[in-house]
Amino acid sequence: MPPTSSRVELRRLSKRFGTVQACAGVDLHLGAGEVVALLGENGAGKSTLMKLLYGVYPPDSGDILIDGRPVIVDSPRRARALGIGMVFQQFSLIPALSVRENLMLAYPGAPWWQGSSAGAWSRVLQRLETLAPEVHPNSKVAELAVGQRQQIELIKVLNLDASIVILDEPTSVLTPQEAERLWGMVRQLADSGHTLVFITHKMEDVMACTDRVAVMRNGQVVEECRVADTTEQALVTRMMGGSLSEDGLRIDSPRPRAHRVWMKNISATRQGEHIRGIDLKLMPGEILGIAGVSGNGQHLFADAMAGLVPLTEGELIIDGEVVVGPKMRPAIAGRLGYIPEQPAVNAVAGDLDLTINAALGRFKALALFPDWDAERKRTEELINAFNVRPPDPALAVGQLSGGNLQKLVVGRELATPRELIIACYPTMGLDAGAAQAIYQALFKQVSAGACMLWISEDLDDLLQYAHRIAVLHAGEIVGVIEAKQADRYSLGTWMTGGVSSSQSIAETAALDP
Amino acid sequence: MKGLAAIVQHSSSRGALSALLFTLACLGFFWLNGHQPVALFREMVLGAFGDGYALSETLVKATPILFCALAVALPARLGLISVGGDGQLYFGALTGTAVILALGDLSAPVMLPLMLLGAAAGGALWGALAGALRARIEVNETISTLLLNYIAVLLVDYAVHGPWKDQSNLGWPATSPFPAGAILPTFFDTRVHLGLLLAVIAAVLLYIFASRSRWGLGLTLLRSNQRVGRGAGINYPLNVLLVMGIGGALAGLAGIAEASVIQGRLQGGLSAGYGISGFLVAWLAGQKFLLIIPLAVLMGGLQASADSLQLFAQMPSSSAVILQGILFAIVLAVGGRWRERMVP
Amino acid sequence: MSDLFSPEMLSFIAAALRSSTPVLLVVLGETLTQRVGVINLGVEGQMLVGAITGFAVTLASGSPTLGLLAGMFAATLLSAVHALLSLYFGANQIASGLAVLILGAGLSAFYGIPYVGEKISGFGSMAGVPLLGPLLGQLSVSVLIALLLTPLIGVWLYTTRTGLAWRAVGESTESARAMGINPLLIQWLGVLVGGLLSGLAGAALSVDYTSNWIENISSGRGLVAVGLVIVARWNPYLALPAALLYGGSEALYLRMQTWGVGVSPYLLSTLPYVIPLSVLVVTSGRLRQRGGGMPEGLKAVFKGS
Repeated sequence: MPPTSSRVELRRLSKRFGTVQACAGVDLHLGAGEVVALLGENGAGKSTLMKLLYGVYPPDSGDILIDGRPVIVDSPRRARALGIGMVFQQFSLIPALSVRENLMLAYPGAPWWQGSSAGAWSRVLQRLETLAPEVHPNSKVAELAVGQRQQIELIKVLNLDASIVILDEPTSVLTPQEAERLWGMVRQLADSGHTLVFITHKMEDVMACTDRVAVMRNGQVVEECRVADTTEQALVTRMMGGSLSEDGLRIDSPRPRAHRVWMKNISATRQGEHIRGIDLKLMPGEILGIAGVSGNGQHLFADAMAGLVPLTEGELIIDGEVVVGPKMRPAIAGRLGYIPEQPAVNAVAGDLDLTINAALGRFKALALFPDWDAERKRTEELINAFNVRPPDPALAVGQLSGGNLQKLVVGRELATPRELIIACYPTMGLDAGAAQAIYQALFKQVSAGACMLWISEDLDDLLQYAHRIAVLHAGEIVGVIEAKQADRYSLGTWMTGGVSSSQSIAETAALDP
Repeated sequence: MKGLAAIVQHSSSRGALSALLFTLACLGFFWLNGHQPVALFREMVLGAFGDGYALSETLVKATPILFCALAVALPARLGLISVGGDGQLYFGALTGTAVILALGDLSAPVMLPLMLLGAAAGGALWGALAGALRARIEVNETISTLLLNYIAVLLVDYAVHGPWKDQSNLGWPATSPFPAGAILPTFFDTRVHLGLLLAVIAAVLLYIFASRSRWGLGLTLLRSNQRVGRGAGINYPLNVLLVMGIGGALAGLAGIAEASVIQGRLQGGLSAGYGISGFLVAWLAGQKFLLIIPLAVLMGGLQASADSLQLFAQMPSSSAVILQGILFAIVLAVGGRWRERMVP
Repeated sequence: MSDLFSPEMLSFIAAALRSSTPVLLVVLGETLTQRVGVINLGVEGQMLVGAITGFAVTLASGSPTLGLLAGMFAATLLSAVHALLSLYFGANQIASGLAVLILGAGLSAFYGIPYVGEKISGFGSMAGVPLLGPLLGQLSVSVLIALLLTPLIGVWLYTTRTGLAWRAVGESTESARAMGINPLLIQWLGVLVGGLLSGLAGAALSVDYTSNWIENISSGRGLVAVGLVIVARWNPYLALPAALLYGGSEALYLRMQTWGVGVSPYLLSTLPYVIPLSVLVVTSGRLRQRGGGMPEGLKAVFKGS
């Protein structure tokens, strides 16, 4: 029996998408002033469950009770009227407008005149002052750090008098320091009587700021207990269901040898974004992770190395040969495999078919009038090798699911042995099976001597798979460290620029074989 | 609306529906202006296709429209929306005339290729100018081509009022009549000229290269996803210059052909809105090169029939412009994305 | 400095303002339209329809005020075609604008034939106004309307809650919807207000500026204005200097003819197109850096599908 102080009660909630049972008869209750962690792997059903509560989808079956009364939440608008608010992973702030303007747009009681500070509106501005004192109301949202934007999102929700607040994976994009601030804010809100749901897959979030934890797996709550009564180890076991197979994939650091890839003093500029003086060397078979908060030049760096952005300075040297440099045509065909972030946008032409997209890697090698029958056969081979579903070479790539599209891109980029592989979050959003296949393909080439640059905002990934980790901040490498010796906190300090660059260069030199 | 949306899922039924609506709109327009709609519509069709002479005049009008439509459809392969047909037409006529005036009286086999080349070069320059602005500094090509249209028209005005004016014309602003060697050959005792043949050949060649070759695939790729196309090693700026240049060259050919055959000299008023009609044809054809050919003939018919509307109903020639506008609006409405909203 | 206030200079400034006025009105209207994420090239056709309607109504009624109102009404109706095609039917905005352009050009030419050669008397002179008489005498009612509208629209757009909602819609219809705004309604309004101002511009041209009607009287002013919206960075306050690029060049070329400069008037008459286009080219560098203020919702339209 749930305690009598229960604010929200979910009874036997179920939701099915096509063949996937996202939520299967979930029971959950949330008490007043309580922070409940909803813990689980990607695809466990956490977000879906909360979107049912927030009225994004209607449940197939089950009931929602607020303060003991059954309610029908058929839209986010209704949810807000019931005092439920949700902060999504995708922010809905408008970057070109100021903080004040964004708050004004989202607040129905805002005055006609922007200069006004009357009545309820002044309380909104006060809340901003209290919860995010370092954010100026006139700053453009585009100029704020990710953590600050998230604070504004949360304030937006609170302005609508939400007493039940859902946070969807709020720390996934934050530095450890920003995450700590958020935990503090969560406790502050709980103490003032708010009920919070903290969706996460990170154990540290659970331990740091929540009272109770519900572990989800395959659409069901498999464990529900007070945080004080459990251990990290027990929770991990419940969350994973005892299968931690990914560990077996990790490949060891190569023995020290002469470097194969040298990114020599790289500088580039694109639309106001810069990278400066990046100098890194990789040994054959080495995975170098690039960590950093989004927007610090990672993607510019990756694009520059793939020859997509002209270098203002520096060279990419592979096996002693300059392949990318200022004022030269990149000579990377066949040598470099590039898996960019958001492959649906950055790696394929969505309205063209699989055959054309698969042939892209060798576009320059095609005849003036290409032999499409031969290309179709090649594509079929690729489809079979990487188990792309549906296996139709004439299908527009945009019709593929994220995982299958990623498999196609990986298959194309790794079609022949490469010397350098650049991968940005290669398994983001994929289910375990698809991720396994992609790790295998990547690591096969790395074992055979390819160098790999692994770009991610997720430190867990890098700590698990990379041999060394370099941290990029404001377009410069601020530190490089062996993954085995790295800890999250010092990486986090680097990610927020908390170290002088001279120190990092010394370290880079020390690690240089 | 839902039922309608289901019906127009196929391009052929969209075409049929557009044609039906356009016919009704024509009838309505005639009726509103106090005419017997069906009779006048019949005159309109006869005026365009009724006999050999009507058909030949239709083909004469269709020629520059076809050129200008190709000048729109090729940049569209790259996702560019060029409305510069008229400007390129005028500027091509200007440079083509410059060649004629420089060479004087030469025999046709020497003169014609040089004249056509000169016109193509001028049109290419005018198109590539907008292309360069787009490729280099992202100046929107629709706006730049529209403004360049006005400039080219005024430059021709300048030439025929000023340095190239034939004084024996008694104040009429025009060059001297072109020498016999600079007149494109015509067929079957009509005004249908070599330009039509060149335009059809251009359309077929463009179809072959843009639809089948690696180059055409590159254009499609850059349009679909510029970043990915560049990643595959395709040069975007170069291709922008190329499609705008080739398109401009074709429109330039239309210009010199009009000056040479239709006017016999360079003077203002070279184009009866051929650029915009070409734009319309390219859009109606879904930017498909082969489909452009018959649609250009239909559009030529609409323009040619304006003459018979004037004759039989005293309707001003601008009625053809209104009908083109209505046709365009109908096609855009029928072909818009509203269907996706109705039929998920 | 004294030259600045010489009678010649004053009359040049007045001439530049007069010929800027129709363009300024279109720039203001198109700025609002583009601020909600819609581009409308049809303003050229709407101007023409506004011009002929305004002229015809003034001629019939003898009231130029009625003429301006009628022009605004007619052009707003035509702009509704653009809204219907692009917002309801989901057609390409550039193509839809061109359809409206063709329609407007055709309709105004067709129904304008009887009015070619007619003369009307527009608004009377304002020379009688005390103090400002000498300058005002060279201006006209529509110039004052445009000069007054510029700051009004600026203040409204930047400091009121509804202005904020319009800007939000232009940045992201999805975010705006999530904030409880009806983006479709605001986009319709944005197109219609742009239509209203383009009609005022056209009527100002035929009723107040030239006091006659000729076919294609706007001769590209609407299209120049669309380019100048970019030059003005979608900022109503900058619409005036941007519009002066056109008006100044037009006044300059007319002046240069009377000065007897040894350049053909036909070459000089390209100036009102060449100068705005050149400024668009020169200032586009900043646009590429971070968009230069382009509403996010327009980027999809500008960068092709």
